[in-house]
Amino acid sequence: MIEINKVSKWYGSFQVLTDCTTQIAKGEVVVVCGPSGSGKSTLIKCVNGLEPIQQGNIAVNGTAINDPKTDLPKLRARVGMVFQHFELFPHMSIIKNLSIGQVKVLGRSEDEAHAKGMKLLERVGLKAHANKYPGEMSGGQQQRVAIARALSMDPICMLFDEPTSALDPEMINEVLDVMVELAHEGMTMMVVTHEMGFARKVANRVVFMDQGKIVEDAAKEEFFGQPRSERAQQFLSKILHH
Amino acid sequence: MNYHWNWGIFFQQVSSSDDTYLDWIITGLGWTVAVAMSAWVIALVLGSIMGTLRTVQSKPLVMVGTVWVELFRNVPILVQLFIWFFVVPELLPRDLSLWVKQDMPGKEFFTATLALGLFTSARVAEQVRAGIQSLSRGQRYAGLALGFTEAQTYRYVILPMAFRFIIPPLTSEFMNAFKNSAVAFAIGVMDLTFISRQMVEESGQVIESLLAATVLYVICAMAANRVMSFIEKRSHVPGFILAK
Repeated sequence: MIEINKVSKWYGSFQVLTDCTTQIAKGEVVVVCGPSGSGKSTLIKCVNGLEPIQQGNIAVNGTAINDPKTDLPKLRARVGMVFQHFELFPHMSIIKNLSIGQVKVLGRSEDEAHAKGMKLLERVGLKAHANKYPGEMSGGQQQRVAIARALSMDPICMLFDEPTSALDPEMINEVLDVMVELAHEGMTMMVVTHEMGFARKVANRVVFMDQGKIVEDAAKEEFFGQPRSERAQQFLSKILHH
Repeated sequence: MNYHWNWGIFFQQVSSSDDTYLDWIITGLGWTVAVAMSAWVIALVLGSIMGTLRTVQSKPLVMVGTVWVELFRNVPILVQLFIWFFVVPELLPRDLSLWVKQDMPGKEFFTATLALGLFTSARVAEQVRAGIQSLSRGQRYAGLALGFTEAQTYRYVILPMAFRFIIPPLTSEFMNAFKNSAVAFAIGVMDLTFISRQMVEESGQVIESLLAATVLYVICAMAANRVMSFIEKRSHVPGFILAK
């Protein structure tokens, strides 16, 4: 579903990604972790072309992201993305946030989009809040809406960029629950997160990054059992021991 | 002070015509409002386009916006007005040039409106750019990730919030349009400034004449302020700080 092949990226002369290679198969859940500044957020933004890459190639569902002939908006419409800071549109009501993409990008009718939006809101437990504005909701609620917004486009895969790092501890679980449910339904997911509990529960594989490189790419059991690289061992010992 | 007050002057007839001075003042107010409002429309439309262009991905379009802003904000409004009025017609093809100089109806009004509109558009453009750049990069990402094109991202995501942010400076700019329109008298538009000076000449009542113009300018500026404040309240986004 997602193929990342020898990807390198520079900001000016500073190299942020070096030769990154990994694949995510259909239905697979892959957690990407690593210390801050390791390039994991940058990598996930390259997958749907929000950030350009200078070397290598990325294909989603067989379509090359960095091919100038690719219709990027069309491809992005099928790749759901959830951000660290939610990024709901603050001037639109919640239901409008969920319907605008369906109407303006997929060409659905207002009624159809509204109905689908309400169904998704019900699914994330926020149906009663349809007419509120993002600024009137808690972080956890906003992030659930953001997931629903991504789902409203019927994505073929989902990208999560640190979806719980900006949340109060109490709100993390309500968001993770929605993500776990999605994973169990067979959604293809690439998740940048520090939530190792989530990784243990639903990930198929864990990709560990450090200094712009993929240091370890292993099945979950192997990663948590006996990580090969010393850097991953250090990282795990630090985040699991408290 | 040995000044001879005469508030009744406004109801007296101008010696050279049938009009009262009040009629004159009302005509002057009409031209001031016409120049300021028309210039504001030009400024808002062109300023929004140019300010937006300065933030897009395409380098040539950014250049267009930058050149526009620098062209119209680095020269005093009065000089720009004279250039449009005296210089530009000379540069036109011969027939068009003659028509502009001799026959063009409302030439003074159109020139003043154009000059003020373009001058103000450069200032509006900078405010629009500031508004856009004050938004987090994540909003642009979110729009693009949803499948919007760059244009749609601007239309539905970025500009609606950017304009809300810049209502306060835009309010000042709208008020400036009224105040700056006073330069139009220099090329013969019979606006409030022109009329009040004329009234001084004809009647000798300096204070009454200039006070009338002053009060009317203040009323115009305050009306502009009220209109913008109404728009600000109407477009308020829940969860954001609202100016009281």
